[in-house]
Amino acid sequence: MSPTDQNSQASDLSTTPHTSVDADNESTTHFGYKTIEKDDKISMVAGVFHSVAKQYDVMNDLMSFGIHRLWKRFTIDASGVRPGNKVLDLAGGTGDLTAKFSKLVGREGKVILADINSSMLNVGRDKLRDKGLVQNIEYVQANAEYLPFEENTFDIVTIAFGLRNVTDKDKALRSIYSVLKPGGRLLVLEFSKPEHELLNKAYDFYSFNILPKMGELVAKDGESYQYLAESIRMHPDQETLKDMMEKAGFEQTSFKNLTGGVVALHKGYKF
Amino acid sequence: MKPSNNQADTQLSKQLSNQLSTQFGTKLSDSLLLPQVATATLELIINKALSLNNKSLSFATVAQKTLMLELAELSFPLCFTVDNTSSPVVIIVRSTIECSDCSIKTSVSTLKKLKANQSLTQLIKQDELDVSGDIKIAQQFANIAQSLEIDWQTELAKHLGDVPTHKLLQFGNKITKSLLATGKQLEADISEYLVHEKRLVVTSSQINAFNQQTKDAASKVDSLSARIDKLVANIAGKQ
Repeated sequence: MSPTDQNSQASDLSTTPHTSVDADNESTTHFGYKTIEKDDKISMVAGVFHSVAKQYDVMNDLMSFGIHRLWKRFTIDASGVRPGNKVLDLAGGTGDLTAKFSKLVGREGKVILADINSSMLNVGRDKLRDKGLVQNIEYVQANAEYLPFEENTFDIVTIAFGLRNVTDKDKALRSIYSVLKPGGRLLVLEFSKPEHELLNKAYDFYSFNILPKMGELVAKDGESYQYLAESIRMHPDQETLKDMMEKAGFEQTSFKNLTGGVVALHKGYKF
Repeated sequence: MKPSNNQADTQLSKQLSNQLSTQFGTKLSDSLLLPQVATATLELIINKALSLNNKSLSFATVAQKTLMLELAELSFPLCFTVDNTSSPVVIIVRSTIECSDCSIKTSVSTLKKLKANQSLTQLIKQDELDVSGDIKIAQQFANIAQSLEIDWQTELAKHLGDVPTHKLLQFGNKITKSLLATGKQLEADISEYLVHEKRLVVTSSQINAFNQQTKDAASKVDSLSARIDKLVANIAGKQ
């Protein structure tokens, strides 16, 4: 498919409501706008992140004009993290949240940076070690659907810009629920659906016309950023994700739209 | 039966989450992420100041402790946490309601009074300052802030060069001295006026009383004059 074809398809589908949880058929799922076999998604997403890992932070700053730092700050503020807490930063990538959590939980606490992608995990580990953050951080390569931790282990679990890449989101939410301690909380920071139509259109134009070109120029990988734009559109909208969290067992779920709903922070408790 | 620790934790979490549901409301400052912009800027400034400090500071007593400041002028709280897990020690600034070991509710004007050594207890009695939690933490944070010693001349010289820095600081000192002298003169003039001259100045009630007395005297003079005229007329009639 030529880039033009992809763009026209993107424009058609960009108006699709963000309510698709997973593909209709149980054995298939989405990879951006493509419907693929579930078994293939992990390796295809892995391919994207192996490709962008080294330029990930630079691209985040460029694409969001640095606002991703404020979204992450908001997540930390909403987490209510305390000294001594045990935190799981799932799909933690290059460790922005882990770095902050590590300082806040102190020597008595612990932060686990988990990511399914080894390249992202390596970049994150190198970055945090270069910052001198070594005392209370552990690194685990893990699939969010099958978390390799005991039940009732964590006070806080965060997943920032990672849930949309997970093949079976419901399974991942159930897995997160089980590793949270009673009283623990999950924070999901993820791209979502803008609240205003005008902003939605501008955002669509930016995502499908500018973002892939930026990716091509800086990370030499336009396709991965095309996937990024498509995966955002296929991700469940605010209310759907809230419902999914409730179905997984979370209580007192709420969400907060940031930057007009471009990003939303969902929060739920395990009691 | 006493609730178990787990039940108590769960109840506490429920209470906190209720509070947070309110925080998760749709405040404009939240949508624009203003608290996060403010805390990021403050964090940068504070840690830069700490890195420029020449005096050794002790953070041992406030390690991993958090001070929350709720200013009347701001719609969001500011939390300052000392992180000693890495070297050098850094202060993390957040905007959250569930974090503090000590919290202070006050205004910027009251903070200025505190700096001017006005009694802490007096301000608390006047309801200008509300402190809850461990007050020692607030005092230790204040001590650290007051102990900061930064050699601005050396730092500035690194960026501007020696000669421009020297000239700039000379000019700055001159302006500061002149402003201080003007301030002192103004203070002396005002205090002299208040102590000596204010006593001599006629009050408005005194002016009113004087005006009344003048009016009374004028009416008495008028009636006396009328009486004299009447007497003169009587005498002239008899002759």
